[in-house]
Amino acid sequence: MENKKFNITLRVWKQKSEDSKGRFETYNVEGIIPEMSFLEMLDVLNEKLIKEGKEPVYVESDCREGICGCCGFVINGDVHGPDEHSTVCQLHMRRFKEGDVVTIEPFRAKAFPLIRDLVIDRGALDKIITAGGYISVNVGSAPDANTIPVDKNTAEKAMDYATCIGCGACVAACPNSAAMLFTGAKISHLASLPQGHPERTKRVLNMIKIMDSLGFGNCSNEYECEAVCPKEIKISAIAKMNREFLKANFLSEEDPDLPPVFHQSTVDVPEDE
Amino acid sequence: MNYLFILRMIKSSIGRKQIMAVSGILLSFFMLIHLAENLLLFKGEEWYNGWVNILLSNPLTIYLEIGLLILFLLHITTGVWVRIEDWVNSRKRKYENINWQGGRTLGSATMLYTAIALLIYLGFHMLHFRFTDHSMGFYQMVTSAFRSKLFVTIYIAGAVALALHLSHGFQSAFQTLGINHKKYNFYIKILSYAVGISMVAFAAISIYFLLGLDIKPEAEYNNVIETIIE
Ligand code: SF4
Ligand code: FES
Repeated sequence: MENKKFNITLRVWKQKSEDSKGRFETYNVEGIIPEMSFLEMLDVLNEKLIKEGKEPVYVESDCREGICGCCGFVINGDVHGPDEHSTVCQLHMRRFKEGDVVTIEPFRAKAFPLIRDLVIDRGALDKIITAGGYISVNVGSAPDANTIPVDKNTAEKAMDYATCIGCGACVAACPNSAAMLFTGAKISHLASLPQGHPERTKRVLNMIKIMDSLGFGNCSNEYECEAVCPKEIKISAIAKMNREFLKANFLSEEDPDLPPVFHQSTVDVPEDE
Repeated sequence: MNYLFILRMIKSSIGRKQIMAVSGILLSFFMLIHLAENLLLFKGEEWYNGWVNILLSNPLTIYLEIGLLILFLLHITTGVWVRIEDWVNSRKRKYENINWQGGRTLGSATMLYTAIALLIYLGFHMLHFRFTDHSMGFYQMVTSAFRSKLFVTIYIAGAVALALHLSHGFQSAFQTLGINHKKYNFYIKILSYAVGISMVAFAAISIYFLLGLDIKPEAEYNNVIETIIE
């Protein structure tokens, strides 16, 4: 066990706040065990830094099992690290060896202001969800299962889109920092299911409108997003969103930007005397 | 009258891209037709000028030209708009190092540069062939231009830029319009590369005339090629 331990040099992006100037700081991390996860390696470094009275490296994580989307930064130029379709917390130190120089930078995008070091504010993604990434149902006891039949293929497909964890890697990897894959995944998920149909038109138009207002770029179909997405969301999600937009804009009867039309009775109602 | 849906096409990032996509696909078809026309140069003066006369004597041609102008304007304005927006929304701090993961192609990564090159080329092309003196006859005008090395160099550069632009643009337009399915994505890709590569034929035509292959008898071909290479 002992002889397997190794040391690396870590270059970490340090920045106090969005408006301050950032720089790379170099740390030597010693005694790394290959079984450690990347985040555990950072924990070890931070504990040492705290003991020495120095400022730790700020990094965000929560579930550490690849399902929450909190972690995420760029390791040696790879979004979410060198493993394909995986989050940073699922990366282990066995991918590195003695003497490696590892550079880590935060996800960079205008829509993701930096909070500190590697921690960024992904609140813009939440704003997109608030604009329509939900369905409206009555509260009360849970409805019986299968009251609305959904065939297996559709359910699987919707589930594939639903697995997006909102990590923002697609934005970070996009040359234009567009949030199309994220928004496309959410719109495609709900448009695939009957439960999502009543608000379908409003949803796609509103979500795109809000997405456009948050400082994300346009999609130029470079397909970098699907290459890094830890949940393997495909760009077919973006195509579906584009279809949904066309459908909502050209075919839909309702238009959320128009004032609501109230039904007028055609029956003559006798006036009160 | 409801005009909200038109407004939304212009105001939304996806709508603008869809305008760019539709105009782009139509312009690609125009380029293919234009290429077919130019291939008539191989058939000689009679054929080429004959076709030009058919176009000029047709009263509809002017409307087609206006339509073409509108397509170009739509494509260029939406393209410039999208790019300006991307530039405004671009990262404040660049990555020190970012590895592109394989989605980008030479065509897709150079869209902006090929677009600028094509815009400049379009202006040059218009001044040179459209708004110029046509009295010497169209076949003569085109082929005499192709005898100039400088002109052919510019022409080849334009053809290569066009080939790169269409190799990405054509397939990208389908995705933007929501046409994406694993059943036929492969065919769209192949078609896109085919359309792109066929634009190289423009360059081939100009080289054919630069080498003087149209005037020399066959036996002298090799001599001509040798002198040009020298
Ligand atoms: S689409 Fe993929 S990369 Fe983008 S936020 Fe969702 S899980 Fe992350
Ligand atoms: S910490 Fe939850 S996905 Fe990595």
